Amino acid sequence: MKTLTLTIDGKICAGAAGQTILEVATASGIEIPTLCHMKELSPWGGCRMCIVEVGGIAKPVPSCATPAADGSVVVTKNERLDRLRKLTLELLFSERNHICPICPMNKGDCELQMSGYKFGIDGIRFPYLYPALPVDLTGKYLGLDHNRCILCARCIRTCDEIEGAHTLDLGNRGVKSQVIVDLNSTFGASTTCTHCGACVSACPTGALFDKNAAFHGALKRCAQVRTTCAECPVGCGLVVYTMDDRIVDVFGDGDSPVNRGHLCVRGRYETWAVKRERLTEPMVRRNGALAPVAWDEALAAIRAATRGLKSGEKGLLVSGRLTNEAAETLAKIRPSVSSVGMYVAENEAAMCGDPGAARDVFPLLQEADAFVLLGADPARLQGVVAARIRVAVRKRGAKLVMLNVRSSDLDAYADISSRMVGLERAFWKRVADVLKGRRKPVLIYGPNAMTSLGVAAMEKLLKTFDADCGPSVIGLPATTNALALSAAGVEAVDDLSRWFASAPLRAVHVCAADEPAGGARILREREVAGCLKAMEFVVLQTAYFSRLVELADVVLPALAWSERSGTITNFEGRKLPLRPALTPRGQARDDADILESIYA
Amino acid sequence: MSEKLKVKVATVWLGGCSGCHMSFLDLDERLVELFKLVELTASPISDLKDIPPVDVGIVEGAVCNEENAHVLKTLRKQCKVLVALGDCAITGNVPALRNQKDLGEVLARGYIETESTQAGEIPTEIVPPLCPKVRPIQEFVKVDAYIPGCPPDADAIWYALTELLAGRKPLWNETNVRYD
Repeated sequence: MKTLTLTIDGKICAGAAGQTILEVATASGIEIPTLCHMKELSPWGGCRMCIVEVGGIAKPVPSCATPAADGSVVVTKNERLDRLRKLTLELLFSERNHICPICPMNKGDCELQMSGYKFGIDGIRFPYLYPALPVDLTGKYLGLDHNRCILCARCIRTCDEIEGAHTLDLGNRGVKSQVIVDLNSTFGASTTCTHCGACVSACPTGALFDKNAAFHGALKRCAQVRTTCAECPVGCGLVVYTMDDRIVDVFGDGDSPVNRGHLCVRGRYETWAVKRERLTEPMVRRNGALAPVAWDEALAAIRAATRGLKSGEKGLLVSGRLTNEAAETLAKIRPSVSSVGMYVAENEAAMCGDPGAARDVFPLLQEADAFVLLGADPARLQGVVAARIRVAVRKRGAKLVMLNVRSSDLDAYADISSRMVGLERAFWKRVADVLKGRRKPVLIYGPNAMTSLGVAAMEKLLKTFDADCGPSVIGLPATTNALALSAAGVEAVDDLSRWFASAPLRAVHVCAADEPAGGARILREREVAGCLKAMEFVVLQTAYFSRLVELADVVLPALAWSERSGTITNFEGRKLPLRPALTPRGQARDDADILESIYA
Repeated sequence: MSEKLKVKVATVWLGGCSGCHMSFLDLDERLVELFKLVELTASPISDLKDIPPVDVGIVEGAVCNEENAHVLKTLRKQCKVLVALGDCAITGNVPALRNQKDLGEVLARGYIETESTQAGEIPTEIVPPLCPKVRPIQEFVKVDAYIPGCPPDADAIWYALTELLAGRKPLWNETNVRYD
């Protein structure tokens, strides 16, 4: 790569051809003020805060959008630039209704406010325009207040370039320009918004804000805990903002090698912005009703009820969200409870077993020029992966072939999307035509590829890629830690009634851990409620209330995702840490501790 | 220092919540130091209504009605240095939220539709007519110094006043300025 040498503020700086002045300066430790710039996004050059003087050019140029030229002499700070930057800020402040005291980003979370402080803006020389602008509060998790928008387009570019949804755009012209949702619709009515919340993270002001976080505390004054999202096997890095032992907001961790700051709705909002009824005390059923008791009493009740039972008569059904550390405990308690099963998604059990060697999947997605999804629907379950695919299709012209059992939000981006049934020769011909000449294809398969139809389709597919460059095959399970738990010897079960029938069970312990719906998804399999009712004794270990509680004789409160510690292993084979952001609510205890105190 | 040599100050309270004057009182024991150098004349605190000629005029609040404009212009004539105290005077701030609405809607909301009002009517006498838009004071008169904040805290007010007493214009940066 060709290297460049620039003089910036008298300092000799080296850069590479294609870099902007801002990039070279930043890499050389020279700070240039910015507002519309984000390093993850394409240059915009809209705010003019980053203007610099370049020798030989009369007018200042925006350093974020100006390529560095070899030998040029750049000045980033002087009286004139300072004056112009202040002028820019004054124009921004006077253009819309920036009323700090009533803004959720007040107290230092606003880049416009911080720029005002930095440049000592104390009064505005221009008449305020006071435009009457709407506020869109129809979004499920986020609000858009045009009064606070500076039209930096960071939200628009993030939605387009990171999430790949392109829900947002700029409407109208000149002073009437406005961020629009879809074709001038609202967030509530949007058909393309994925609720990933990336636009909110990108917004430098309070124009876009999280409804559940607004006015709950300045992020700047919050404690930050870096942990891992346990909602799916992708294992995105989270930064949990807390104040007074409660969650204020959750953002993606920019330092995470997995998601690089981006999240989907499951990790960004569903874990904290959706109300869940928490279980905080152990309960024992007495005369038909559950009554709160102390831990000792609950454990004594379990021991009393299971004392006469043989190891083979006790069953333990665990969630695939348990940590690797909990798997060690499961191995330890094996002698006293021999029938241990992990419930997973439909058809997922066949994906479990040998996890194979760890590898970096995201660089593959980043470079792929064709995606084949077989029995996997990342748009529903692993949104961060879906975002990479959408971006690849929309921005890089990657091909997308989808073979699924039900429709997906990614169908709209696919060259071919089909259910897995009734595929004839002509279909495979079309697939082959689409994939022809693709040099870096990726085949992503999910639980539904494990059916007989899926396996047959997989065999066909593998023959369809160009012979000299076969696909990178990536397994994308649905359950958070199912692969690692099964590798640690916990048997994955996707047919629960068969599991119940496989041993002479008389008592069963369902360890749902912190599953969002309290583990009630096991009841989706029609026979399971009956199986549980047939048991003499049922213990439920869960963080949240659900219909399962009605079927339990003893209910034990487990830690929620924000209180857990330990590690989980993601679909790439990376061991990722869970760190507690909050103290346990009520009497809730760690899953492994609970299991150990009952069975060890 | 004799009364005659003291710097004469007047403060006015236009369209604002009085928070800036409260913050001024938050100077607490520093008020004793301040009044060794300063004589407070007309002010909502002193309750003197007529503004005499003064050295420094301090304005809290935005211009919301015709009286506000009149008081502001009078103070400007009577003072040598005019100081905008707080965000309402500087930006319009919270009072300017009503700029989004038509004046008729604003008056109807305030005098007729208010939940506790029965058979209300929009007054035509005694109360000064509202301006069509709430505006910051620098759109009416020349402002010599600004003290941003909603309200500016006592330290910001102390900094600005001591700078002015020393004959300097207060300069703001990230260490001492707040808009909240």
